[in-house]
Amino acid sequence: MDPVLRIDDLCKSFGGIVVADHIDLTIAPGEILGLIGPNGAGKTSLFNLISGVVPPDSGKIQLQGRNIAGMSLHKRARAGVARTWQHMRLFRTMTVLENLLMGPRDYPGESLVASVLGLGRVRRAERAAHAQAMGILERMSLAQTANAIVVDLPFGQQKLIGLARALMNDGRLLLLDEPMAGVEGSNYETMQRVVHDEAAAGRAVCVVEHNVGFIKDLCTTAVFMAQGKILQRGTVDELTRSRELTELYFGVAEEA
Amino acid sequence: MEYIAGTVILIALFIILAASYNLIIGYGGLNTVAHPIFFALGAYSSALLGIHAGLPMPVCILAGIAVAVLVSVVLAVTTLRISGDYLLIASLGFQLGLLELINNLEFTGGPAGLSAVPNTFMGERRGLIYVVICVLAASAVVWAIWRTMNGPFGRAVRAMRDDELACAALGRGLISIKILIFAMGCGAAGLAGGLYAYFFQYISPDQFQVAQSAQILTMVVLGGIGTTMGPIVGALVLVALPQAINFLQLPNSLVGTVQGLIFTTLVILFLFLRPGGLVGHTGSQSSHGAAH
Repeated sequence: MDPVLRIDDLCKSFGGIVVADHIDLTIAPGEILGLIGPNGAGKTSLFNLISGVVPPDSGKIQLQGRNIAGMSLHKRARAGVARTWQHMRLFRTMTVLENLLMGPRDYPGESLVASVLGLGRVRRAERAAHAQAMGILERMSLAQTANAIVVDLPFGQQKLIGLARALMNDGRLLLLDEPMAGVEGSNYETMQRVVHDEAAAGRAVCVVEHNVGFIKDLCTTAVFMAQGKILQRGTVDELTRSRELTELYFGVAEEA
Repeated sequence: MEYIAGTVILIALFIILAASYNLIIGYGGLNTVAHPIFFALGAYSSALLGIHAGLPMPVCILAGIAVAVLVSVVLAVTTLRISGDYLLIASLGFQLGLLELINNLEFTGGPAGLSAVPNTFMGERRGLIYVVICVLAASAVVWAIWRTMNGPFGRAVRAMRDDELACAALGRGLISIKILIFAMGCGAAGLAGGLYAYFFQYISPDQFQVAQSAQILTMVVLGGIGTTMGPIVGALVLVALPQAINFLQLPNSLVGTVQGLIFTTLVILFLFLRPGGLVGHTGSQSSHGAAH
């Protein structure tokens, strides 16, 4: 099957600091790929390069066969890159539902003229997005929070709302930046179930996560990154068994 | 009668200015101090057209709006691309530079300004007619902004204000959103300018100084930033207040200072004690309604 995302020879450095050092990576539809490695390995930088927060110095980023490396941030979202943020970046003065309604990648109702005139297609788009948003919230058992101001929710639920907003983009690529940091109990299970279902529905998912348990629970494969390089790709067990990688990353944790 | 009409018209025009400034800085989060210059552009353009081309008042005022919009787009395209802080500095330079230009050009009348703006309505009812026109214009502007900010476009604007990066990463082109609200707000200031020129029949650079953006900002902050009713309440209070000060019969040299003191004290007090303004909510809830 053709990969959803294919990265070839991607390079990026800020001054002397190399955050992406000739990276090659593919993610297939339905795959949940874990991205692990020590702090500063370039994991979030890689997300920023894929989603367009920063432009690459060189290399190709193909989304379903289309090179998106030269596109701006918002055009890549429209091309089908959905992502979440480590610190969520929710719209803090807005309700949960309003946050989700910002998610669809193409939204005709937001044209100024159409919006003011309240044309029929605006109302239809609004209704469709509304239904989609409520559907996603129901899958997360969060429908009752729809009209709450998003920052009034508990942290774990806000993390789920961050995922929900990204899911409003029906693109094929989903990038999750530390979805589990600070998430526990039933929210943890919900997150796991929803991400799993999205992959099963054909999305390619890439997860940056420090919680190795979650990576093990969820990911079929993982890559290990350090100093802007991808050192190895394999199953999570293979990576965690590797002595060299363990020293690079997990060794520090064992000492603590 | 003429005095009351003048006050009501001033309130209506400042409602337009405050509401449109609120659109730009309150909803859009775009920090500009150049609002008075767009007020001036509307006033000067329509006055000059009225004086030299003899065109009817509505045409001149529409042209004034068009000039304000065009110039705002030029300013927006050149500065918004970079980042918010640059806009503040660029807008300050723009405000000062353009006003200096108006102050020194011959066809704008220089420091003396323009005093021969044609009189469209004669007779006793002139004041009343302008009251009706200005109140209608203010209502239309407030309605348009309310309507825009409570629809899907307004949601995108508020999302952008809350978090630009997240908003762009959801597929929203921020530059076009910023240019649109900037143009809309500046066009409204141009409308206020045209009406001002036609009613008072006299305009000069003194009336559009950068300090006026402090006055308009005071209205927005005092009334409630990012709300529909806030600028209305703010304009009412802050136009009526100086009129009340006039009744105190202070010496002329003191009036300006006292007004300045009151404005700045009010802004500081409100920012600390009631950041939501008179009509705003005190907590994080500033934007209900749009979800329903």
